[in-house]
Amino acid sequence: MKFSRRDLLVWGAGAAAGLAVTPVPWKLLDDTAKWSQNWGWIPQPARGPVEVKQSACTLCPNGCGVRVRMAGGWPVGVAGVATHPVTHGALCPLAFGAHQLNWHPERLKVVRHRGAVASWEDARSVFAKACGSGRVVVIDGYPGRAASQVLSNFAEKHGEYRVVRGAETRALAPFEEWTGVPAAALGYDLENARTVVSFGAPLLDGWGAPGRFTRLWAEKAAGQDDPQLRVIQIEPSLSRTATNAYQWISIRPGTESALASGIARVLLEEKLVTARGPMPELTLEYAASQTELKTDAIRELARTIAAQGPVVAIARDENPAVAALNVVLGAIGNRGGIVRRSSSATSQLIADASIGAARVVVLDSSVPWNFEPATDAEVFRFAAWNGGPTKSDWLLPAPGFLEELTDVPSAPTSGVETYGIAPALTKALHKTQSCAEFLASFDSSLDSAEKIVHGRCTELFRARRGTIQSHDAVAVAKIESEQKAEEQLTSGAVWIGEPASGGSIRCALKQWPAADASSPLELSGSWPAAVMPALATKLYQESGLRESGRNA
Amino acid sequence: MSARYGMVIDLDRCTGCGSCMVACGAENNVPALPQATARTGLTPMLVRRVSNGLDGNLRREAFIPILCMQCEHETPCVHVCPQQAVEVDKATGIVMQMPQRCLGCRYCMTACPYHARYFNWWDPAWPAGMEKSLNPGVASRMRGVVEKCNLCHGRLHGAQEKAAAAGKREVDLADYVPACVEACPTGAIRFGNLADQNDPVAQEIHSRNTFRLLEKIGTEPKIYYKSNQAWVRKMAEPIGESGSPVRATENSQRISEVQHV
Repeated sequence: MKFSRRDLLVWGAGAAAGLAVTPVPWKLLDDTAKWSQNWGWIPQPARGPVEVKQSACTLCPNGCGVRVRMAGGWPVGVAGVATHPVTHGALCPLAFGAHQLNWHPERLKVVRHRGAVASWEDARSVFAKACGSGRVVVIDGYPGRAASQVLSNFAEKHGEYRVVRGAETRALAPFEEWTGVPAAALGYDLENARTVVSFGAPLLDGWGAPGRFTRLWAEKAAGQDDPQLRVIQIEPSLSRTATNAYQWISIRPGTESALASGIARVLLEEKLVTARGPMPELTLEYAASQTELKTDAIRELARTIAAQGPVVAIARDENPAVAALNVVLGAIGNRGGIVRRSSSATSQLIADASIGAARVVVLDSSVPWNFEPATDAEVFRFAAWNGGPTKSDWLLPAPGFLEELTDVPSAPTSGVETYGIAPALTKALHKTQSCAEFLASFDSSLDSAEKIVHGRCTELFRARRGTIQSHDAVAVAKIESEQKAEEQLTSGAVWIGEPASGGSIRCALKQWPAADASSPLELSGSWPAAVMPALATKLYQESGLRESGRNA
Repeated sequence: MSARYGMVIDLDRCTGCGSCMVACGAENNVPALPQATARTGLTPMLVRRVSNGLDGNLRREAFIPILCMQCEHETPCVHVCPQQAVEVDKATGIVMQMPQRCLGCRYCMTACPYHARYFNWWDPAWPAGMEKSLNPGVASRMRGVVEKCNLCHGRLHGAQEKAAAAGKREVDLADYVPACVEACPTGAIRFGNLADQNDPVAQEIHSRNTFRLLEKIGTEPKIYYKSNQAWVRKMAEPIGESGSPVRATENSQRISEVQHV
């Protein structure tokens, strides 16, 4: 039998039609799709048992409670802790990508000396030599921790300890002079305030602990015509806080002090407040000409402010006139105002660009990357991430996110005293050392940060005051042993002190402060880490929602 | 009884912080590719900034989180998909996207009136070692497929497994909360079962000042918005001639311009 070309075509068509009614081609398509998704270069998530651990975020001084999902020993997700007494389950947007930070391309992996790769031994020998021949200045950006205690103890013996304060603490600095209470012991009783006057403070955009003010605003003000909590935002441009405020007052940039003086003058002249304070020397007309507002508008603003008390005024940074406005408003030491949260905090020497003669300057990893001391001394900077060009001689890799045990004192703006512990949840990816470990290794008489944390837990237990908040709040007096208290704190519980007692503050402001305060340092905002999580950078870039950080 | 999962997003509570975007990206293993741009990146949850178009002291802004609207009726992406890679899950009402079936034709992206679908232009990649931080509950998607918000199906599967282990047929909503809802610091995004009349979210969709985007085109989205500000509510209306469905999400600048034409 002859097999013609026609037969071949018929056979081929028949075979194709026959195959099409079998599951073979569809199965092949399905398998090809699955196979192509498992190519070797497609990254696969970590395998291993999944568990959830509770800790605190240590990337900024607010110490928000975090719930960390771990798989195979690695953090794979971060969420807030709903029972946290300050943050109430909220986190800043960057914290949701913080678990990826340890693998950030800008992670510092090795010691660098003026850009060249060096070793820990090199750094140690240079430090030991320099340390023996002159004064050492140790600078801390997150005071109050056990690690800060190590830094301070070392500096006491070998030189000087200084702190770099964030804008939120600097805003409270004028009260330090007028009341004698350290700024680190003061906070805002926002929960009881009914009007908050913000002079440029980004209250709804990263100011303080993220869950605190935004939650209060959402519950008491958002979308309401006559809100329980009035937020009055005084700011030149329309910010996130301004657009959501009860009232937005746009003024000429840099005239916040003049407006605060003008408001205080109206409050005192029209007897709108019961508190007494010094009368500003500036006239209302001068305030109006400076701010480009009308005098009537300032009068109306002062009446609106006084209409619903308690009132507190919050400055973006150090501003004595805004601080003095609080004195006129009677906000010092009163409910809904500025309160003393702690009796143990002490005043500290402030680090500014000029630090005097020194042989060595040591910068802790908590110091913002853009803080550069003007000095001829050998500068040792500890950092987990490289934030770009720096004048520091030595860059020393510090532990990254959740790689070391640290304690978490009260957030800078908190009205109550809190204490928590952030345990090391993940192993270190590189050969790192914290500043406290490094300094303690040169002086065997210094206690380690871990030992100080243990001592603080013992102190809290013996004082028998406050409560420990985990799923439930338990009074410290009812906890059986100090081991139990420490165990709870190490598993993510938070100690909360007694409610703020304002009566202990006496304010001695006799004269309205001079308009020009010393210009504060221009430091980065509420995110002090040198880089942002890569995911946040990507999403911000692609959405145009915010400016994104460098190198992330 | 089958569920109908949906959301009410209170725009008066949204401060535009972007927590929902980052939490969504981390939950769903969205890669941070340096070559991706606003047009080519993956943003299953995208917060848009819009304004009332006025100047000076009268100017106001709002933030609108845009995600897959989970259209219930005549779901446009389902209709156009030649691969049956998109379907409305009868049990949950979630518009499911199956990357295994997707051939990457992008008809669904064109059909989506909300611009809520994204194409994987590149294979997913992370900086060396960062794959250890990926969520093990969600597989990374390959190059050449379309993706979108699945209302955190990884979390839904976890809740379904938990319910099954307890011998229950229905998922407890305490166990199933999408990442964006969990992350919102002001509680602006609320999630619930719209088919359950006792669910507070189901009740809220009938409240005053609640609206949906492009409601007139009749796709019955299950994502609702809420605002007491009239100019924000107006954003949801189709713009252009005689109610033609023009994308309300095109870009914030365009919206603010057209608003005052």
